[in-house]
This record gives sequence, structure tokens and C-alpha cells, in this order.
Amino acid sequence: MNAIFPVFTLLLCGMFTLAGCSRGTSAEPPTPGNASAVAGAAADTGGSRKGDFGPPQGEPIKAVLTSPPNVPPPTGRSAPAKVIVELEVIEKELPIAEGTTYTFWTFGGTVPGSFIRVRQGDTVEFHLNNHPDSKMPHNIDLHGVTGPGGGAASSFTAPGHSSQFTFKALNQGLFVYHCATAPVGMHVANGMYGLILVEPPQGLPPVDKEFYVMQGDFYTVGKFREKGFQAFDMQKAIDENATYVLFNGSETALTGDNALKASVGQNVRLYVGNGGPNLVSSFHVIGEIFDKVWYEGGTRYQENVQTTLVPAGGAIIADFHLEVPGSYVLVDHSIFRAFNKGALGILKIDGPENLSIYSGKEVDSVYLGDKAASLASVSTAATSNAAGTLSLEEQVAAGKSLYSGTCSVCHQDNGAGLPGVFPPLAKSDYLATQPKEQIVRVVLNGLSGAVKVNGQDYNSVMPPMSQLRDDEIANILSFVQTSWGNSGERVRKEDVTAVRAATPRAEGAAH
Amino acid sequence: MRLAALLMTVLLPSAAAGDFVRLPGQAAFTSILKYTDSDGKVPIAPFELMTTPVTNAQFLAFVVTHPEWRRGTAPSVFAEARYLSHWGGPLSLGAAAEAAQPVTHVSWFAARAYCEANNARLPTWSEWEYAAAADATRADARKDPAWRDRILGWYAKPANVPLARVGQGSPDLHGVHDLHGLVWEWVDDYAAMLVSADNRNQADPDVLTFCGAGALATDDRENYAVLMRIAMLSALEAHNTTGSLGFRCARGASGDVQ
Amino acid sequence: MKRRTLFLIFVALACACTGTLTAADLRAIPGDSVYRFDATLSDQSGTEFHLGERRGRPLLVAMFYTSCRYVCPLIIDSVKGVEHALNETEPAHLRFLLISLDPARDDTAALKSVFDKRKLDAAHWTLARTSESNVRTLAALLGVRYRALADGEFNHTSALVLLDREGRRIASSEALGATPDPKFMAAVRNALEISTK
Repeated sequence: MNAIFPVFTLLLCGMFTLAGCSRGTSAEPPTPGNASAVAGAAADTGGSRKGDFGPPQGEPIKAVLTSPPNVPPPTGRSAPAKVIVELEVIEKELPIAEGTTYTFWTFGGTVPGSFIRVRQGDTVEFHLNNHPDSKMPHNIDLHGVTGPGGGAASSFTAPGHSSQFTFKALNQGLFVYHCATAPVGMHVANGMYGLILVEPPQGLPPVDKEFYVMQGDFYTVGKFREKGFQAFDMQKAIDENATYVLFNGSETALTGDNALKASVGQNVRLYVGNGGPNLVSSFHVIGEIFDKVWYEGGTRYQENVQTTLVPAGGAIIADFHLEVPGSYVLVDHSIFRAFNKGALGILKIDGPENLSIYSGKEVDSVYLGDKAASLASVSTAATSNAAGTLSLEEQVAAGKSLYSGTCSVCHQDNGAGLPGVFPPLAKSDYLATQPKEQIVRVVLNGLSGAVKVNGQDYNSVMPPMSQLRDDEIANILSFVQTSWGNSGERVRKEDVTAVRAATPRAEGAAH
Repeated sequence: MRLAALLMTVLLPSAAAGDFVRLPGQAAFTSILKYTDSDGKVPIAPFELMTTPVTNAQFLAFVVTHPEWRRGTAPSVFAEARYLSHWGGPLSLGAAAEAAQPVTHVSWFAARAYCEANNARLPTWSEWEYAAAADATRADARKDPAWRDRILGWYAKPANVPLARVGQGSPDLHGVHDLHGLVWEWVDDYAAMLVSADNRNQADPDVLTFCGAGALATDDRENYAVLMRIAMLSALEAHNTTGSLGFRCARGASGDVQ
Repeated sequence: MKRRTLFLIFVALACACTGTLTAADLRAIPGDSVYRFDATLSDQSGTEFHLGERRGRPLLVAMFYTSCRYVCPLIIDSVKGVEHALNETEPAHLRFLLISLDPARDDTAALKSVFDKRKLDAAHWTLARTSESNVRTLAALLGVRYRALADGEFNHTSALVLLDREGRRIASSEALGATPDPKFMAAVRNALEISTK
């Protein structure tokens, strides 16, 4: 810590001098009136050269820090202030997925760390407190700091200690902060990152809702969703082979009851960071188009964006207006990360439908190409099912249609299968001997590995058919069990529902 | 009389000063710290090292006979306010400190005084690093990923759960326990860790700050696990204590202090 | 009150004469004082003294070694810089103590040689040596980090440490050179004002 301090001081002094020279001439901050001109036209903001608005004015202000997904209110100030930030490092075990925990190292007790919001030109007195129960020393590198190490050299802090350093926020923008103690990658992989917003002097355009979302990749010894405590895996981290890719440090941080909530007619702003340590995010909200993206967290915005890159150690600001209610899914559109590694979040919009913008589902029909069959029986069965008067005959009729659309490609129209490749369903001893639940399970979850049917060995893969509704599966199985010489039981919708409920969602199940 | 009784109960279950074992040393041990003055090689003379970290019970015996090192008596310049704060009292361990757990919340000054009182000294960093390179079958297992994973596994464990007792599990090749996986340990020359506070700056040692060769360069890629220990020691001052920081003593190969 | 003052003076005199500090003397020193460390040092003329005898006036301490060619001469320059920055009356109250990191080679003669060559004022300056174990403890107390190199040189941080009259660390500076760090100078002046009241 002593090592770098003199240099750090010297540089800062140098900047004060520079700023002092230019303050009288061209260092005037842009006024709110010309803000859009600045953002839209080619005029530049002057960067750090014009970021010093003089000494802090008024009493020091204690910064409001918020846990994700919350964002502190706008500073609402028109003059530079001295802002005091107290950030505590806490090492703690937290859930990373349902039933799975991980030892996170945190800034403020959460992953990502507390959101910090200041105004360009503010003088920030930064206190980094390392909790006495910590095992590790930590420090902080704020990308919004001008100076060697971004504060890291001045904030190296042993457990039970505090470090203090002061910087002037010369550049506006949305910046990542992170721990830079060796091994840096491990500290970052354990969740030691967050965002600091340096508002432009005129502030950002007002919106109705602001949210704080940060992506990170995690590396555990156990597999994705393996239960219990999971330790960090350095080799996977080096190989960039992430076990989890998550928003806000947990698979459930932004889903279920934790979904982000807003209403039709509101303007929403997302502050999206990426802590890494390794992966670049292709950030996308399914069903929305960003009206504006301040790409790379900088001064200018792009309009009408579908997917925006968030580099590891970088951030973006995205604004969009809400027109249609429903659930919108935040994803890393490197899409296996979303559906197989956890990079999913939900933005739940309530409010009245607007059918002129989006109709909802108008037609839901099976398209079968040249395999088309009469689907009248399917809708008859669905109607009877809803009315509670479904007969076996209706089920079999509907099941026959569905079978020919979904199953017959492999198992053939006559149920004979293809010898050695797809097992036969006709006169099947497998169907005759397996319990009903197992047969339902095969349809729902698929089947892979060796089975023996009618004396012949099969060893291939049937994909899960969980996209079929419970009544549809019941109809198909009722048809199969009463056709081609089989004499199995009728399958009811309730049977399928029970099996589906008892089956954990398979890893990587199709969506 | 009461003190004597206390001493008996404290001393009987475990050896007063701890058991020492002889380590053969090495003429040119390769340190993780790439000492530019000696091509990264350090001569390690044969020495003796305690087989386990000093326990609460052992340290209690010490403060019983050395009142100046009791909590509340030791001056703050030698031991900060958290010194032995997890004990029940200046002369009692209490519920939160088990006799056979390693003593923590001890300052470098206190650790040094303990070793001196037991006709020993703190090991040097090089001695500690050399000893800690061993696993059950090899004197230098540092190239084995399993050796590294053991250290990282400990880092991943949160510090708010009770420490294990010393000497659990099997010793290493030399008969030493717990060099990894239990506590950080003070070394005599902890202040020789002239590592830049920003560990990413290794390519650019600030030559004006240090007289001579500048900050130590470290080989981050291979040895970050041990580097963490150096970072920890370099973050501390001698009167500091933490809940994960203990110590053990060393002495010369013939049992003398040097 | 008066009797107490007299007693303290007596104690101080007794210490100066006998060169020892009793346990009671040590306990009278604040717990956060460096003078709680009862080290015996010897100066450039070979005279032994106790660290605690420096109690009573502010003290500027640094660590160096005489064979050092690069930074250590700068350390002496820096201390001299502080000396020169003070006006004519103030230095009388500030003492300078430089302790060798290298007791093996820095014998009394080596200290004396540097002392004379740099034309240091014996009224205010002391160059001192002590045992290697004491060096380690003193460095720890002063927050100086150092490592002996294979070629006999030392890597070390170069802090000037200001102790108040009771021996408490109140400021330090790593800015080297003849012009002292203004913040550090302010601390020095502050300490002197307090001590002269």
C-alpha cells in the first residue's frame, strides 16, 4: 500500500493543477439544455479534461448504497459535492441455485455489490471496511477512478481493517468496480464486483423504474445444480468453462417472487454490468427492443437495439418503454448460458392488454406438412376434457391424430418402429410389463440407454416430449395402449399430471 | 495455588511448547517470490518446526506465566484491541475457544514473545514456504494440482465457522500438520514481503519506493494460491490480529534458537 | 501536582544516569507508544541509550544503512529537509534518530563516518545501531518493511516516522527529497507546538 501511494498522490496533484488551469476557460459543464445535442451530435464532452467542476461544495454527503436489483435515487445536485462511501467486504455462504450454496466474497453482502451513485465532478471519499470475520485481505479497483490501480493500491485491507482514499469522479458513465487482490480472477469469480454510476452533470433523462442487474460467471467443483455446498474450481475458471452464468449471483435472483416488476406505460431503465471474470454477455430481453442503449456505459446512446454486448468488466444502460403486459425474459443470448447455466431473469409487466400492438395467441394449430391428419378429433377431445366428459373413444381418436403428428416419424404409423433403431410399440412386451407411471415418464423425460423390447436390444435416444400438454400425452398413450395388439390401460390426464409433478425438471430440458 | 492448578490442567493434555520435528532443508529452494538478487533460490538450513500450530491451551499457559502478554495488559502498540478477544477472559478460554484449536487473534509481537519464551523463534517465510511445499509423500509437491486445490479449498471455506482442532488428519512427509487448510501463520520476517499492494502491477515495480531492487516480483500464474498468503501477510502490521491468523515456532536443527 | 512533576524529573534524571528503565517506568508510558519497547541502542560515539529516554520531545525516526548508495542518502536528505524547513527555534525541540537496518556491518565507526561526512548536528541527530532482533521489532513498530538481499544490500520502505513526545506514531511520510511533504511538515509543526506548551 505504501508502495504506490506517493505516485498516486503525485498524479492526483497533477490533475488538480490541470483542472485549476482550465477551469476559468472551457471547463464549464454542459447545461441540461444542450444535453441532447451533446449526446446526439459529434460534440465531445471533453472527458476528464472537463470533468473537474472545482472543489466540493456544501456539507459532505453520505452516499446512498442499494442492494441489487435496486438503484439509488438520482443525486439531483447541480454542484460538485464531497460524497462519503462506506463499503463493507463480507465473505458469506449464499444460495447460488435452489439447494446449492457457495462461499461468496461480497462488497456489501450481496452479489453484485452495492450500487454507488455520484455526479461527475464529485469528490468521493471512499472507505473500504473488511469485516473482522473475513479470512482474506481485499481491495477495490473502481473503473471510474483516475489513478493507478483505480484505487486498488490505496485500499489493500486486511480483515478487521479499514482503508480510505479519495478520488474525483472526472468521467461520467456507468463503471464496474471489483476486487483486485491476488488471485484477482478468484476474487472476481467469487462475486467481488458491482457498479458505480457517475451521472452526467445534467443527470440522466428521468424514467419511472430503474433496476440494477449484473452478470457473472461461476465455477464450481460440482455440476450445474448439484446440491449442497459447492467449492470454487480454479481449473474450470482458467479453462473458462463456467458452471453457472448468472444475473445477480443466483439462479433465483430475478425469477419467481424476485422477478423485476413494472407496469404498462412506464419507462424502464436497466443498469447492466458484467463482472465476468471471463465471459462477454450478449444481453437481450426477450420480447422487448431497447429504445436506447448507452453502449459500454458511455456518453452516447444507440437507438432501437435488440441485443447489446456487455464486456467483462464493462456495463451498459438500456431504456425501454413498456406497451404490452406479460413476462419478459432477460437472457445472455449466448443461449445455452440462459437455459443451461442459469442466465435468466424475469421482468414482469402488469397492466391492460394492448391487442393492437400484440394480439396474444390467435391460432394454435398443429402444422404437420404432408403428414397432416384431421385434427377435428383433437379439438373434440380437448373440449370434452374441459367439460369432464372425455370418453376413451374420444381419447383414442385424438391420440391417433397426435401420434401421427408427433410419434410416427420414429415409431412408424403402424407402431412397428424400425428394427434395431426405434423400438416397436405394436405388441410391445415393454408396454405390457412396465407400470403406467414409467410409460408416462418415458414420454415426458425421454429415454436413453439400453432397453430390450420383444427380445431385441435397443440403445438410442428418445428426446423428452414435455412440450405436450398432460391431456395430449394421456390421449397418445391411451391410443397406443389400445392399438396394434396392445392391451394396456387407459391413461388419464391426472396420471400424467402426477408424474410431471413428481419429476424434477431435467437439466437442459427443451424449452 | 489457583494458578498452579490452572497450569496443571492446561499443561497436562498437550506438550507445553509443542512438539518439534526436524526438517532437512535444501541448498537452493525455489521460492514463489522471484527474488531477483538470488535468482529465486533460497538456501534453507536444516531446522526444527512445530508439528502443529500453537493451540489456545498452549498460549494460555504462556500468558499465565507472562502477565505482560495477557489480554488487557499487553500494550496496544504490541497487540491491537482484538488481541485474544475470542477468549472468555484474560486467563480463561471460555466457550468460543477450544483448548486444542489453534490460537488466533494473536499479534506478531505476541507470537514472537511466545516462541522466545519457549526457547524458539518464528520461522522465516522461506522456512515456512519450504515446509509447506511438502505433501504426504514428497518434499516438494507444488507442481501437483492436488496440492494447490487443497489451499484453494480452504480459501473457499467461510471464516465464520469454528476452526478445527490442530493435528487432525495425516501429517506430511516431515511429520508436520496443518500448514495448509487451517489458519494463516505469522512468520518472523513477515515485513520482508515487499509486495506491491496492487498485485497486478508486478511488471512495473516502483523503483523509487524501495531501496535496491524494488518490489518482489511474483509468479502469479503458477503460485497464486501461496501468493494469497503473502498478500495477507503484507496487508498486516505487527500489532494486528485476525480470527484466521495463528502461528507456530521454529528453532535450529540442534534445538537451539537459531 | 508539583511534587509529581519533581518526581518525574527525578525519574528522568535517574534513567539518564543509570541507563535503565524499570518495569514501573515502562507501565507509565502509554500503551500505544513505541517506547513500550525497551530496546537498548548505541549511538555514533558508541554510547548506549534506551529508546524510552527519547520520551519528552517529539522525535523523527527513520531506518537506513550506511552502505546503501541509492535511497538511504536520500533519507538523510529528507530528514535534513525537515530540519531546514523548521525555523530557527523549532529544531531545538525536535530530535532526529536514524537506526541502522544492518547491525552486522554498521558498527560504531561506520555510523560515525556517515555522521561526520554529512555534518550532522550532535545536539539533534543520533545515528544508532542495535541487535538484529531489535531491528526487526523496531521496524515492525515503525511500519518499515525490509528484506536483506544476497549481496548485502537491503530492500526497504523509506518512511520518516514522527513520534509525539510520548512516543506515539502520529505521522509518516514516504516522500523522499530535500523538500518535505507539506502535510507531514504540518504534522511536525503541530507536534512541536503541543510539546512547547
